[in-house]
Amino acid sequence: MPDWKQIVRKNLGVFEVCSPEFTEELAAHLEDNYEALLGEGLPTEIAFQHTLGQIEGRRRIWLVLRFLQEELMTGFMREAALPGLMTSAATGLFYWTLALGHIRGNVIWLLGGPLPLWWWCLLPICGALGAILSRRNGRSSLQRIAASLLPSVTLGTLILLLFAIGFTLSGFVNHYQLVSARLESLGLVPPGFAIIPAAFSLLGAAIAEVRTKKFRPLA
Amino acid sequence: MAAVNAQIKRGSAELAVLTLLAENPLHGYEIAKQIEAQTGGVLRFDMASLYPMLHRLERKGWVKAEWHTLPNGRRRRCYRLTAAGRKQIAPLRAQWRAFFQALESVTGFQNA
Repeated sequence: MPDWKQIVRKNLGVFEVCSPEFTEELAAHLEDNYEALLGEGLPTEIAFQHTLGQIEGRRRIWLVLRFLQEELMTGFMREAALPGLMTSAATGLFYWTLALGHIRGNVIWLLGGPLPLWWWCLLPICGALGAILSRRNGRSSLQRIAASLLPSVTLGTLILLLFAIGFTLSGFVNHYQLVSARLESLGLVPPGFAIIPAAFSLLGAAIAEVRTKKFRPLA
Repeated sequence: MAAVNAQIKRGSAELAVLTLLAENPLHGYEIAKQIEAQTGGVLRFDMASLYPMLHRLERKGWVKAEWHTLPNGRRRRCYRLTAAGRKQIAPLRAQWRAFFQALESVTGFQNA
């Protein structure tokens, strides 16, 4: 009798790490399948190959994908984090496309520096995308808001973290101009890359919400 | 027998499994084989569809899995229906009945 547990471990190592119980369950399934084929009168080698075929090639990839989809894509991940991640990716893509197209952010000078107006104008699309994806997968309005705001929240956190590190280092250097420059940019960067983008994203999410409600089919 | 589209199969799988487990606890292989036998091979689950779905049902609290040692000394993870799972069967049946009635009214597939 082949050691099916060992065979599953060899072919599907990812399950051994994520869920050893799943490995044992799959091995038990293969064992039963193998014995059923032998019971039908198939030669040992053919029964073995036939059973092994269930966890090889295309079927192995499909099994891993389905496992990951079911085990990892649950709850918060499916309803808020993934839509949020997609929204963040779209936000970044827009920003870098504008940068590559030399559509610079020196459109307005609100707080003494260049601010990415064109990027802001594209952000409602990202916010709407986050809200729609979250609605498709989830339920609550809070999760839809979280999904559409994730890029701004992430950027805001990152910016504050960078400033905190910057100030700490400036303290060590004790250079007045450096601190002054940081204070100046503190007034420019968080609004430009976190607060105003959040507002634009929310605007997109709100539009998506209204449009979806308006065109929701009658139950 | 005509092959069934994967999407339809996926949607009907939960009801088929819950209904089967309402009778008695079974392990994965038995579930797959019984469904295949009872549907004349129309519904056939491979490992990639069956086990992730069983784990999803377990997470929802509709089934409970426990390791049992069989008389031959082998361990099998058996699934049994919980009270919450039992409650799901009637609404799922009603949904499928409504779906088929709606489909029938459009396509007249019963007379096809």
